[in-house]
Amino acid sequence: MNLVIVLLIIGLLMIVAGCWCLMRTFHLLKMTIGIEVAMKAVTLFLVLAGRISGKIALSETFVITVMVAEVIVAVVGTGTAVGLFRKYGSMDVRNLKQLKG
Amino acid sequence: MTILSICAHGFIYGPILVVLIYNLFNHEFARKHFFWFAGTGAVWQILAAIGGFTALNQNGQTSYAFGAFWDIRLAGAAFFELNATRFLLLLIVGLVALISVLVAHQTVDFNRSSYTNLLMILVLGMNGMLLVTDLFSLYVFLEVTGLCCFIMIAMFRSRADLEGSFKYLILSELSGIFILTAIAFLMMKTGSLRYADLAGLGQRISAGSGQLEDLLVYAALILLISGFAIKTGVVPFHSWLPDAYQSADTAVSILLSGAVNKVAGVYGLMIVMQLFGDVAPVGPSLAAVGIISIIIGALLAVRQPQYKRVVAYSSVSQMGYILLALSTGTTLGLVAALAHILSHTAFKSTLFTNAAALQEQTGTLELKDLGGLENQMPVTAFTSIIAFLSTAGIPPTAGFWSKILIILALWQAGSPVLAGVALVAGILSSAYLIRLQRTVFFGQTRPELAKVREVRGSVLTAEVLLTVITLGLGLLYPYILLLLHAGGIL
Repeated sequence: MNLVIVLLIIGLLMIVAGCWCLMRTFHLLKMTIGIEVAMKAVTLFLVLAGRISGKIALSETFVITVMVAEVIVAVVGTGTAVGLFRKYGSMDVRNLKQLKG
Repeated sequence: MTILSICAHGFIYGPILVVLIYNLFNHEFARKHFFWFAGTGAVWQILAAIGGFTALNQNGQTSYAFGAFWDIRLAGAAFFELNATRFLLLLIVGLVALISVLVAHQTVDFNRSSYTNLLMILVLGMNGMLLVTDLFSLYVFLEVTGLCCFIMIAMFRSRADLEGSFKYLILSELSGIFILTAIAFLMMKTGSLRYADLAGLGQRISAGSGQLEDLLVYAALILLISGFAIKTGVVPFHSWLPDAYQSADTAVSILLSGAVNKVAGVYGLMIVMQLFGDVAPVGPSLAAVGIISIIIGALLAVRQPQYKRVVAYSSVSQMGYILLALSTGTTLGLVAALAHILSHTAFKSTLFTNAAALQEQTGTLELKDLGGLENQMPVTAFTSIIAFLSTAGIPPTAGFWSKILIILALWQAGSPVLAGVALVAGILSSAYLIRLQRTVFFGQTRPELAKVREVRGSVLTAEVLLTVITLGLGLLYPYILLLLHAGGIL
């Protein structure tokens, strides 16, 4: 098994871990962390893409841009979670039952 | 400097300038006069789209490439591009922004400065998505658009707002992860993400070869379609959509349904279809998602308890029609999809503007508390009927012609079964619309609603403007069909 396959498998495992975290936890911050873990796997894929296609500089700029974007998403997600914590007094996602049809 | 280049640069610098100038003033002044700043931004967008398109036509060009402040002839420089499709979508963005500002003038109160700033950055993000020519920039502007939406939904900090925003954030980020993974996989195969380099990938991959990179390209296509389908909000990825639309302020709902899910979702799928339409499974999978979405969306809309939720599920159903038109991959299919995007913008914005009017005048949108408002609110009742006729596809409204075009495109592409299903599903959409119209406007006036009066001012202007667009387009369509016939498309 070469390095590319190993890194691909590691990345896929990280995405599965992130999605597992989204499905199995009921804590708003943990869900945000799950998203972040999956996003880190994607940066790994971008680095790998740069290595395979031989355009390492391009993929480095992509990775830095993605990092900025995901940090902003994490900030907004955490902010929303804190807002919900102030309303409900807990971070449990099972409280969110206002919107139903 | 030609008119075309001024208009083209205006799409980028216009919103930025409005934000910069708006924040020079003190808070109280800015809050009081937000209407003029945001309105100028929106009107500028509309004028630039119309003026730019006219200039492009007069020059006889089909597309125009430009850089924001750099020379595009440098080796490897990224560039923006404008063509007829993009001009139409830019016009829709401007129109929806204008309607949203008109509604926000009456519905938004304390958050007006944040609303204006976020609206302009949202317009900038959508303009960016429409102008760029490579997949990674598309992702970056998609993220800008998404972030503005999360904040705009949560802006009023009620329980429902925050809940809707959090649900949207989680699913939207999931779609971001899908799209970015797909981008990485495509880059492994091609080493470049420009549309020009990615086109024709179908010839370069061989299905049965079992090469790792070819397998990854197929995975990338699945991920791209699911990512943009989440953003579009079609079944089975629709769970965030009614919650977000219901919880957001109506001015924001108009933006979400009128522009964001078309530009962030449908335009993305358009790009996928344009680049990878020759890879076999792409078209049929879009058609499958579309047909499921039409039927399930309409069935779910029938039994919703709240006005905006019914309209939101109707949006899911109508997006299905657009995907169905796109899945044909022909020029007529693209034209039909664009026509339905335009008429959907007009009638769905009308319905949401009516929701704002009802909310302002009666204070509720729960269907069980509304009834018999026909005499108190005659203009709202009338515009709502026109919007319903357009949604259900009944002449002489714009929705009729765009649905006819979709069915013709399906028939021409050799799938009469899909065309038949699309035709029959129109009956389903009449079902939920008749229910909505009957509960809200027809019948006995409820005693507690006896003192309700017609809405005034900017919301009324928005309702009338949108109805004129729906009817005007409906009456103008035979001319457009003649143009299409002359162009050899129909």
